Amino acid sequence: MNVDPNAATTSFPAPPPRPTPRAAVFLVPALAAAAVAVALGAYGRVHDPAGTAFNLAGFSSTGAVKSWLATAAFAFALVQIASALVMYGKVPGVRAPSWTGGLHRWSGRVAFLLSVPVAVHCLYALGYQTYSSRVLWHSLLGCFFFGTFTAKMLLLRTERLPDRLLPVIGGLVFTALTVLWLTSALWFFRTVGVTT
Amino acid sequence: MQRSGPLHTLLAGLVLALIMLSLNATTEPPAADAKGGAPPSPAAPSAPPSSAAPAPRSPAASPTATATAPRPDADYAGRTGDGAASVAIALRDDGKAVAYVCDGRAKEAWLRGDVGDDGGMRLTGDRGARLEGTLEGGRVTGEVRLTGLEQPFTARRAVKPSGLYRAAASVRGARVVGGWIVLPNGKQVGIVSRDGEPSAAPAIDPATGAVTVDGTRLTARPIP
Repeated sequence: MNVDPNAATTSFPAPPPRPTPRAAVFLVPALAAAAVAVALGAYGRVHDPAGTAFNLAGFSSTGAVKSWLATAAFAFALVQIASALVMYGKVPGVRAPSWTGGLHRWSGRVAFLLSVPVAVHCLYALGYQTYSSRVLWHSLLGCFFFGTFTAKMLLLRTERLPDRLLPVIGGLVFTALTVLWLTSALWFFRTVGVTT
Repeated sequence: MQRSGPLHTLLAGLVLALIMLSLNATTEPPAADAKGGAPPSPAAPSAPPSSAAPAPRSPAASPTATATAPRPDADYAGRTGDGAASVAIALRDDGKAVAYVCDGRAKEAWLRGDVGDDGGMRLTGDRGARLEGTLEGGRVTGEVRLTGLEQPFTARRAVKPSGLYRAAASVRGARVVGGWIVLPNGKQVGIVSRDGEPSAAPAIDPATGAVTVDGTRLTARPIP
């Protein structure tokens, strides 16, 4: 489409200057995040915990499977932090290689997909529980983690976000996963032992 | 193109979750109560393997299996296959069973349910704890599952002072529930939970049930 840049402006009401981040850009991910978190928590609370779910061959218990899956997810989350720091130029003397973005995307995907079976087992077999502070925080943050992760994925689809938004959300996701790991896998390894 | 990546990631996670949920729902042992809302089907009274799975938290709901041949009160006690936890089952003459599983440190569960005519039992407890067993030839064999513990077990007839003991009291504002299993060889395993926080229990005197928890003297009662 050709537009003469020198043409006189029309008398049409000028379109309002496009508000760069429109409200919907934030509202949709925020609502989606809330919906995911609340839905997971409600399912975990309402559904009668089955107590068990299918186990993987080679592991002594579902607790061991989950602990190792969560540990693997946490390891990939560390890759996430490192690659994000490099991408944002926060590591002195390191220029982000061209594959940093790919590494960040794929390590994140793997970490997320590793965490899904763990969450399914938690919600299906154990449910949302509050009988101790460890369990309460784990339940709360489990829902928060998947909500925040959803928000981050949806925000990534938008251009021109405020500079600090993605790092903050990513940091929240990482912090949630860390506490989740501390309150579950580390607890399991310490109380039950490092077993497979 | 690249911008649809995050959506694909989310969708992949959702699909994976749905696959695992459906696998869970289908590979679940015949438990009809796996989906939560399913009402406990009143099983035919003569169905051989105890199929009257009582819904969790309402173990007394099943109308069947109550008017069975009376069996005297009896305790059974033993260990799990890996030796890490102890199991005690108290059978009452009215066909009800109470069981306690405990590793003496952090893992414990109280379970309740009915015993079928054939000696089969399927007990349930809080937080999804399950115990399935069969009474045969003076002992109960089966499998117990609770969070972080899935083990076969064998429990033999336990004659007092061995058996199952329980104490419940309020100590310094905390709800204290203790469970002890005294094995036929005299060893005992117990957990005291204070407001739901389990820890190793001090030993009881099996003759009197006396035990001191946090400076307060309690009496653990034998079950049944």
